[in-house]
Amino acid sequence: MKKIGLVFVIVVLLAIVTGCTQSSNHVKEDVSIGAQEVKKDLILAIGSEPDAGFDPTTGWGRYGSPLFQSTLLKRDNDLNIVNDLATDYEISEDGLTWTVELRDDVVFTDGEPLTSEDVQYTFETARNRGSVLDLSILEKVEVDGDLTVKFTLAEPRSTFIHSLITTGIVPKHAHGDDYAENPVGSGPFQFVQWDKGQQLIIEKNPNYYDNQPSFEKITFLFLGEDAAFAAAKAGDVDMASIPSAFAQQQVPGMGLEAVQTVDNRGVQFPYVPSGETTEDGYPIGNDVTADPAIRKAINIAVDREALVEGVLEGYGTPAYTSVDGLPWWNSETVIEDGDMEAASTILQEAGWMEGNNGILQKGNLKAEFTLLYPASDVTRQSLAIALADMIKPLGILIQVEGKSWDEIEKRMYSDAVLFGWGSHDPLEMYNLYSSKNAGIDYYNTGYYQNNVVDDYMEQALAATDQREANEFWKKALWDGSTGLSAKGDAPWAWLVNIDHLYVVDEQLDIGKQRIHPHGHGWPVTDNLVEWKWD
Amino acid sequence: MQLSKQLNLNKRQSTLLACIVLSIIVCAVVLTGFLYDEDRIASNLEVRNAAPSFDHFFGTDWLGRDMFSRTIMGLSLSIGVGLVGAIGSASISIILGVIAATMGKVADSIVTWLIDLFLSVPHLVSLILIAFAFGGGFKGIVFGIALTHWPSLARVIRSEVMQVRSLDFVQVSRKMGKSRWWIAKEHIMPHIVPQIIVGILLLFPHAILHEAAVTFLGLGLSPHEPAIGIILSESMRYLSVGMWWLAFFPGICLLIIVRMFDKIGDNLRMLIDPHHAHR
Repeated sequence: MKKIGLVFVIVVLLAIVTGCTQSSNHVKEDVSIGAQEVKKDLILAIGSEPDAGFDPTTGWGRYGSPLFQSTLLKRDNDLNIVNDLATDYEISEDGLTWTVELRDDVVFTDGEPLTSEDVQYTFETARNRGSVLDLSILEKVEVDGDLTVKFTLAEPRSTFIHSLITTGIVPKHAHGDDYAENPVGSGPFQFVQWDKGQQLIIEKNPNYYDNQPSFEKITFLFLGEDAAFAAAKAGDVDMASIPSAFAQQQVPGMGLEAVQTVDNRGVQFPYVPSGETTEDGYPIGNDVTADPAIRKAINIAVDREALVEGVLEGYGTPAYTSVDGLPWWNSETVIEDGDMEAASTILQEAGWMEGNNGILQKGNLKAEFTLLYPASDVTRQSLAIALADMIKPLGILIQVEGKSWDEIEKRMYSDAVLFGWGSHDPLEMYNLYSSKNAGIDYYNTGYYQNNVVDDYMEQALAATDQREANEFWKKALWDGSTGLSAKGDAPWAWLVNIDHLYVVDEQLDIGKQRIHPHGHGWPVTDNLVEWKWD
Repeated sequence: MQLSKQLNLNKRQSTLLACIVLSIIVCAVVLTGFLYDEDRIASNLEVRNAAPSFDHFFGTDWLGRDMFSRTIMGLSLSIGVGLVGAIGSASISIILGVIAATMGKVADSIVTWLIDLFLSVPHLVSLILIAFAFGGGFKGIVFGIALTHWPSLARVIRSEVMQVRSLDFVQVSRKMGKSRWWIAKEHIMPHIVPQIIVGILLLFPHAILHEAAVTFLGLGLSPHEPAIGIILSESMRYLSVGMWWLAFFPGICLLIIVRMFDKIGDNLRMLIDPHHAHR
């Protein structure tokens, strides 16, 4: 019976034990600060693992720096577009031909020079793979000599420039089947080792053509939020991303960095009634959330300000759309929320009646649906629970379930999911709401469709002028009578924008952080080359 | 046992008393757990991170959920799992133990091999594997516990049955032409029933602790469901900011229930089988 006691002691007191040991680790860390001044390496626990590996043709580098590869253009810390591999680019007057000139001094880490053929190969491969990078608009890529590339588009597309910013160039001669696990590129860093599920080790590329990073070696640890914070407290990592739940806690020797973002969290509702299935046999649609009254009532009833204060500890802002505050955002989409009475009225007018246990009913249909959240994400868990509890007095029962992404993928077409998005590229809005993207990857899993909205978004893409494009994006959000925002069809209930929080070693300078998009921690690496030990 | 000395109770009486007290506690916990609906643990962002008070006996967590209600619901779940798991485990033990002892050498060696196999792997490992194979969740944990806790009890039952079988009166019955079934029913069962009862009682705390351990590791249930293991694991994050009540009360409650069952099981074993109890 001693064994039982022992098991118990382990289960209950483990927490207390770790609590105690942490304080002693602080002491250790304080002692070792002197040694860090000469440190040339860096250990980061900043985000989740890119499961598909490090191949830009399948989506690596969309968020943050692609590390191993370099891109044609890039953004500076003020989000202006500047040259990287390109020395110049030109757009023809009809908007169909983009001509890019390359620098002539770039070599891959295997010694081969980077030429226009590699660029051609990269973009053609990425397009043919039909991955998350949407290059279907790209008609052909032509090479003119070693240093000139010509992109021809099927129609003018304002957002094509983001493809040039986010697509890392891969070497044509070394792009085999295992490239994603063993990348070769021309970026500031070269690949050393990837232990799946554990860590990624990179070192600096001595042949990099631009400013050299100041670290010899960088290790990315793939830890959950709890483990990352524990590691930071133990002094095992130099920087860790943390959820807002931990923001009040002090870590000796480390400071809190709160970075403003367009990283949003919201609930995607299945937009169509149930019945259909996907090609893989997963069910599509949900009879309850297909009712616009349910979606609108939730949007109006939820008190976003309370979620920011209560769940995010104030580190965030209310979200009304996926693009709040960006140039293509329509400020008319801000609604009066936290209004239970207005929400009740909407439901009553739509024919929802009081049923058993205070849950509304319409015929035989109960106002009840499941909301899935990724089980490992504390913030989404808290948001999901808080939302369900906020909505319950309204008579809508939200069953909250925490699942792995693998399980969510099977159910996300028929259950509401707490997703997160946010990008510097208006194309994301198109991806999320266009009926063409229904059921593709994580985009538009609710099968939302509104032809008017589709039209506006197509026009925005076709615009040759950014300002004109933005006007169409705004109309897609809300044009006075319809739109994809909560005022219109409300296929989503956006809840909050989350500040990105990091605990950073006081000796570490992470430069000027730009406004982060969504991206599970990786956006912080955008200016990794500029980081240094003070 | 101070109390039992003052009241001048012997071991039988004190065990009986403990049994009554424990059954009252367990019934109360299980009943309230089932009667409570989800509203009792609804989040209330206005009273987050509150220390224990008269409004919230066990304090509140980071979403303002009442820890007393969550603890009760967690314990109720744990006891339910423990009960079902222990009874399932005991049934498997009885069936396999009796088969091993009565169905001949081949059956005996197969069962013995199975017992050795399961004893050679740590409970928790096979429990996690089985729970995972059954698709996780409440069902997975119950099956996992039922399928991992039987070997030691099966071994006891097997040896007990073998011993009874070789006794003179059983041999005589057989010679007089009584059927196997009759012998099993009239001679063997009465001898092993006490062992089974003690076995279940002693399996129970094991089952509860393993349920807590598995949910603590984050297997099976959604991370917001009020299981004791989940409550303890999520409390770890907040211990360093001084929210001790998140772990303390649920932990103590689990400890009390487990310890009581353990004590009663031990006492009963002593009363039923004083010679072997000291082995």
